[in-house]
Amino acid sequence: MEDYKFLFKIVLVGNAGVGKTCLVRRFTQGLFPPGQGATIGVDFMIKTVEVEGEKIKLQIWDTAGQERFRSITQSYYRSAHALILVYDISCQPTFDCLPDWLREIQEYANSKVLKILVGNKTDRDDREIPTQIGEEFAKQHDMYFLETSAKEAENVERLFYEIAAELIGQARSKDGSSAAAAAAAHRQSEGSSIGLGSFSAKAAQSNCCGGGAAGSVGSNSSQAG
Amino acid sequence: MADDLPEQFDLVVIGTGFTESCIAAAASRVGKSVLHIDSNEYYGDVWSSFSMDTYCARIDRVVEPHSTLRNASYTWHVAETAPETESIETQGDQRWTRDSVMAKSRRFSLDLCPRILYAAGELVQLLIKSNICRYAEFRAVDHVCMRHNEEIVSVPCSRSDVFNTKSLTIVEKRLLMKFLTACNDYGEDKCNEDSLEFRGRTFLEYLQAQRVTEKISSCVMQAIAMCGPNTSFEEGMQRTQRFLGSLGRYGNTPFLFPMYGCGELPQCFCRLCAVYGGIYCLKRAVDDIGLDAETNELVLSSAGKTLRAKNVVSAPGYSPVSKGVEMRPHISRGLFVASNPLGNEELNKGGGGVNLLRLLDADGQREAILIQLSHYSGACPEGLYVFHLTTPAVSEDPASDLSAFTSLLFDRSDVQLIFSSYFTIASQSNKSAAAEHIHYTEAPTFELDYDAAISNARQVFNKLYADAEFLPRAPDPEEIVIDGEDPSALNENSLPEDLRAQLHDMQQATQEMDIQE
Repeated sequence: MEDYKFLFKIVLVGNAGVGKTCLVRRFTQGLFPPGQGATIGVDFMIKTVEVEGEKIKLQIWDTAGQERFRSITQSYYRSAHALILVYDISCQPTFDCLPDWLREIQEYANSKVLKILVGNKTDRDDREIPTQIGEEFAKQHDMYFLETSAKEAENVERLFYEIAAELIGQARSKDGSSAAAAAAAHRQSEGSSIGLGSFSAKAAQSNCCGGGAAGSVGSNSSQAG
Repeated sequence: MADDLPEQFDLVVIGTGFTESCIAAAASRVGKSVLHIDSNEYYGDVWSSFSMDTYCARIDRVVEPHSTLRNASYTWHVAETAPETESIETQGDQRWTRDSVMAKSRRFSLDLCPRILYAAGELVQLLIKSNICRYAEFRAVDHVCMRHNEEIVSVPCSRSDVFNTKSLTIVEKRLLMKFLTACNDYGEDKCNEDSLEFRGRTFLEYLQAQRVTEKISSCVMQAIAMCGPNTSFEEGMQRTQRFLGSLGRYGNTPFLFPMYGCGELPQCFCRLCAVYGGIYCLKRAVDDIGLDAETNELVLSSAGKTLRAKNVVSAPGYSPVSKGVEMRPHISRGLFVASNPLGNEELNKGGGGVNLLRLLDADGQREAILIQLSHYSGACPEGLYVFHLTTPAVSEDPASDLSAFTSLLFDRSDVQLIFSSYFTIASQSNKSAAAEHIHYTEAPTFELDYDAAISNARQVFNKLYADAEFLPRAPDPEEIVIDGEDPSALNENSLPEDLRAQLHDMQQATQEMDIQE
């Protein structure tokens, strides 16, 4: 039986090789390194966490390599509640690309999405971007900031737990000013959308209820079938 | 950035339209190495959706002789900016200007090729079967409409709709239910009287023989069976059944519309392709293609790099494969933005949703599909409405092709048009001589759903990989067992087979346990 109060979609972006997949794997499976080519066939990872006594399911999406030639699909950004923008603290070019990523985020992601800037690979001793520079950049662009090491498991748990806590806070406030709050209010509203995952369940129901706009048949939870 | 693109592929797919993306995903899914490239900076080719500013930029772009998108124009019907005195926006009576619409540019998802999906149709089935449905969300179409006595009215779809509707009399309700039930049961008994009597005759004759009223006849012909006076009895039955078979799955009508527009759909297939190792390059053109007679491989040059592929699939309209190809007009499209919706309040409750209307011209010979979108579709800002009009092309002038329908819609209505745009989608009428070894996909055809496009993708895929399954189900993340000690299972492209075997073993083990208990 699925037992969680909220489901949040978190997406990662950033240049190839900054350690996005490593962060996800470290958090969801405690693994490092994840191994070459390991992302094949793996779409997103799921981990259920408990924050403030509430069970929360995090659906964490990786880029599937489409960032390699700057060809991420717009649909990747759709309906994300939180967005983690990652750079490598030992690689200046990955930091220099951040404005490009921000432009793309602005273009395609929900404007209310929670944004977190992450400087990864703090285990490296050839740091090129001082913590303060990253912090300032994050502040300037209205993002949370954290430095992590997927290799040493430093701050990785903290990163995702803080996101979960923040998203719950937003969902509870339900003031409509955030993506998470919108998600919480989403289900009953006129604007509800449908995931096809629950197809068979709904098909079995008889078509006896009149009126109303669109039928809300749950999220695109892939568990429903 | 260093170009670390591999040089050898099983398949190179040129163009990221719907059909090409289907093929790319299917090939990657069965372990083929795929490179998917598009000279455009966006996904979807002529199947794409655009924000308002990128749409205008796309329409403004100069067309080449072999382009699929042509004869494109747009017009603004409002002032660029508001006069000083009117700058204060009042709720409910907002005066739109070009600037105020453009300020919401990215709230638009303007489709070049808008479609409506049957809830039990080919595409929905494919999305569920392949598990690609996890990348998309849908809006149940709110109303299926028809024109009756010059008014747009909702066609009752479900049993409850039929009972609740005020537009039909009790007698009409009974007749309609009886008729639909008969259609639903048709086929179970191939030898019943009707099917014998009407074989070889038209669906309209059958309908008239049921002595239904004129209004019910319109409901069935215009909206349910969506056929013309010459449609055969068998086809009309089949279409009615298709409609009925999609009822009661999601929402009140048998139709779905993809949230954020149809341009999302090719991207969903591309995502699956990438998840299985497909490589994606937008803004990258192929400059030349040749055949290496010795290895029988195709040699492509792209951005100064030589790539080799066992097979190449290309959408029409991409050079160099389409050089010298003649293009003829195929679909005429109109795209309109207005500040109020079509039809009465009843059809647009709570600001309106997604409405579908099939139109016939005065003599009933030509048809057009109208899709009306409100902001609930995710493809339009709040307070604005998008109308997509599509008809089979009869000329190189989309506006004149559509004038019979636009006059029906807009001439005597109170719709306040803000923006209108027309274009043609062309398809190729002959094959390029240089492209014998290249598999072409077809340009979008005139259809409501994606049946023809999927059948085209399937056909190309089967030609390439005759023995492979077309888009088998992709496992859910929870089903992928990652062993910390030995991640090798995930390193191989053969993951799907491995996984299937693994699942099979597990299932057998569970079965055996059951027996022991």
